[in-house]
Amino acid sequence: MHELAIVESMVDAAEEHSGGRHVKRMVLQIGALSAVLPDAIRFAWDVATEGTLVEGAALDIVEVPGADVKIVRMEVA
Amino acid sequence: MCTTCGCEEATHDHRHEHVLDLEIDVLAKSKRYAADNRKWLAERGIRMINVMSSPGAGKTTLLERTIREAKKEFFVIEGDQATALDAERVKAAGARSIQINTGAGCHLDPHMVRHALEDLDPPRGSVVFVENVGNLVCPALFDLGEAERVVLLSTPEGDDKPLKYPHMFQTASLVLLNKIDLLEHVPFSLENFTLAVAKQSPRATVMHVSAWKGQGMGDFYGWLS
Repeated sequence: MHELAIVESMVDAAEEHSGGRHVKRMVLQIGALSAVLPDAIRFAWDVATEGTLVEGAALDIVEVPGADVKIVRMEVA
Repeated sequence: MCTTCGCEEATHDHRHEHVLDLEIDVLAKSKRYAADNRKWLAERGIRMINVMSSPGAGKTTLLERTIREAKKEFFVIEGDQATALDAERVKAAGARSIQINTGAGCHLDPHMVRHALEDLDPPRGSVVFVENVGNLVCPALFDLGEAERVVLLSTPEGDDKPLKYPHMFQTASLVLLNKIDLLEHVPFSLENFTLAVAKQSPRATVMHVSAWKGQGMGDFYGWLS
């Protein structure tokens, strides 16, 4: 369940870039070689975002080649 | 629904300033900590070795024997979900050690390791072992700033593990097949294992050892020195 740590890093990054605004939607790119499982990210999402600026945000996951895990888009309030 | 941003508004009159196109590496912070650890270690000429395996493969036994026999001062950072049992074991063997308990966590991260390094404060030129949380999956993903990765597999676990846990084996500098003394008692094919490791870890050095009985350990000490 290292995905919980991944979601926590996503929340940190989102809060840093959202300018204090609530995040409505996030698009995450997951590389096929990253050892990060989309289903496990979705599973950890609600718990790890609770009480943060990302709470309640929709999460779109796009699976791509490569090893990186990147936030490529956020919609903020 | 607006097809540009997916919001609920039917028309496209609204502005899209609230859509942020980004390129944020989610692991960037972790990678920065790892790079910073690597710099900190390099400045002090300290070699840090990340030791990984499933639980029970023999990491602690390997370190205990190495500390007793390799005639060198070692420092150990122990990672487990709970207890300080392993830190006590390597301390009894003669190394200065520090225990990290990860609680629910399945791996060590470079930030935890940095604090442990600063607390241990190993002298210039020393060797620090990091015994990661027993797990063949998650620790592979997190660079701690180590110089090398040692991956242990023990014969009772089966010869197919390098194929089943590719991430772990792909990043290994050294693969140690441990509990080689049990080879005749368990269904383990050295030939299959050798093929699997050649496929997953083509650059890794491979050694056969028994950390408990001592077989092959001289090769490991040679690799260390």
